[in-house]
Amino acid sequence: MLGKLLKYEIKHSARYTATIYLATLAFAAVSVIALVFNSTWLGVMSCFMLYIAGVASVIVTLVSVIKNFYDTLYGRQGYLTFTLPVKCSTVLISKLITSVIWIIVGFIVMGITLLTVFLYAKEKSESIFESFLDSFLVSGLAEMLPSGLVIAETLIMFAVLALLTVITYVGYVFFVVTVANTGKFQSHPKLFGALLFLGIFAGVNTVSNLLTENIPLTFNVATDRVFFAFADMFSVEGTLLSYGIGGTIFSAIVAGGLLALTGYIMEHKVNIK
Amino acid sequence: MANIINVQGLSKSYGKKVVLDNVSFEIEEGSIVGLLGPNGCGKTTLIKILTGLIKDHTGTVKIANEEIGAYTKSLVAFLPDTSYLPDWMKPGDAIEYFADFYEDFNKDKAIRMVTDFGLDPRQKFKTMSKGQQEKLSLILVMCRQAKLYVLDEPLGGLDPAARSAILELIMNNYAKNAAVLLSTHLINDVEKIFNRVLMISGGKVVVNSHVDEIKEKDKTVEDVFKEVFSYAW
Repeated sequence: MLGKLLKYEIKHSARYTATIYLATLAFAAVSVIALVFNSTWLGVMSCFMLYIAGVASVIVTLVSVIKNFYDTLYGRQGYLTFTLPVKCSTVLISKLITSVIWIIVGFIVMGITLLTVFLYAKEKSESIFESFLDSFLVSGLAEMLPSGLVIAETLIMFAVLALLTVITYVGYVFFVVTVANTGKFQSHPKLFGALLFLGIFAGVNTVSNLLTENIPLTFNVATDRVFFAFADMFSVEGTLLSYGIGGTIFSAIVAGGLLALTGYIMEHKVNIK
Repeated sequence: MANIINVQGLSKSYGKKVVLDNVSFEIEEGSIVGLLGPNGCGKTTLIKILTGLIKDHTGTVKIANEEIGAYTKSLVAFLPDTSYLPDWMKPGDAIEYFADFYEDFNKDKAIRMVTDFGLDPRQKFKTMSKGQQEKLSLILVMCRQAKLYVLDEPLGGLDPAARSAILELIMNNYAKNAAVLLSTHLINDVEKIFNRVLMISGGKVVVNSHVDEIKEKDKTVEDVFKEVFSYAW
């Protein structure tokens, strides 16, 4: 059943996001064409539009995740979703997977946007880039750069942390929307939902920041290797970067708990208007 | 005959307002039950509980001897009183959706009925008229071989000709070993199809009779309804 739910989830949510993604990619293509044909006015225009579309794609994705969750569970489509012969936890998992996929796609589109704009700017201002590169090489900073493998491992680690963060925030949103549409809170769901989100966001982030700095568990990047250390982020020496991961792990555990609670509420306390 | 629905001591409140107050009843297979009562009497709340849309109630509710859950939802074909299909769906999409999720759904029959009822398979749900939307929703529900059909106001907002067609659709397509629970205000139109009525008032079941028992007293369902709910006029 999870596969079938995912099929319809993606089909349904793509209606909100596909247009803006396609528009962004179209502007990226126009920028490349402008570069090939050396058309300055077309290049500037398409880069500007591309930037706007790239930012919009992230915003549209985030809004559509919330809207899709609300509409299909607590709007009129909830009558369809909640009467399917499927466990509520399966419905929740399908929505979580779909939301995370769309958010990642949104950020990839944003990444393509920034890369295209960067390449366009580099091509048009080659002399500035070259002089910047020369200064960088002369200064000796280049020798401090880590190897390609270290950079790749660092990017993978930060991608994992980013994925955990995305799941964490999706977990907050699902919990808040569900609680705000259950029981006594249904009279003012938007107000209560906003307050609850702010409360969770502020509370968890405060604790998370403290744990990031004080829990002796860090991810470290040196010029020749990446490594984990059981030390706080201020006491690891000889690194380019030291990042405490206790806070991220704490946030993810809280989000996991909130998702489990969301599944419980959907299964046992639901009250569709 | 086996019971399809078994409700014992069911209560549900919205804040301080008690909507269902210690309600108990049973419905056996083969029954076509009219769920009747004035607005706000608790009909829709009862229907939502039977279909798993409301869970924060007290008391026991069982469908085919099972607590309400994923399994009972596979036995219940539900038509709500609101349009519940996504706007983007066309009849073909909706048929695929039901075929994917309900093993008892007859896809060929649904495709045939969409054509028979003059619906355009390529028309999006949001561009259909209310009558077309209701026809499509009812086709989807009645093309299932369910154990229980729960129909909440299936005739609301339809003209008399359409009402007649919808009633015919229901009568010709429900599985004969199933039960039908139909909520309506339009008693006159539907009383001929009921073999039992359940009337709710003030959160309690005030009438739970076979239609034959009512007829033996030389009364119609509408007569009983007017007697019971005279306060509402």
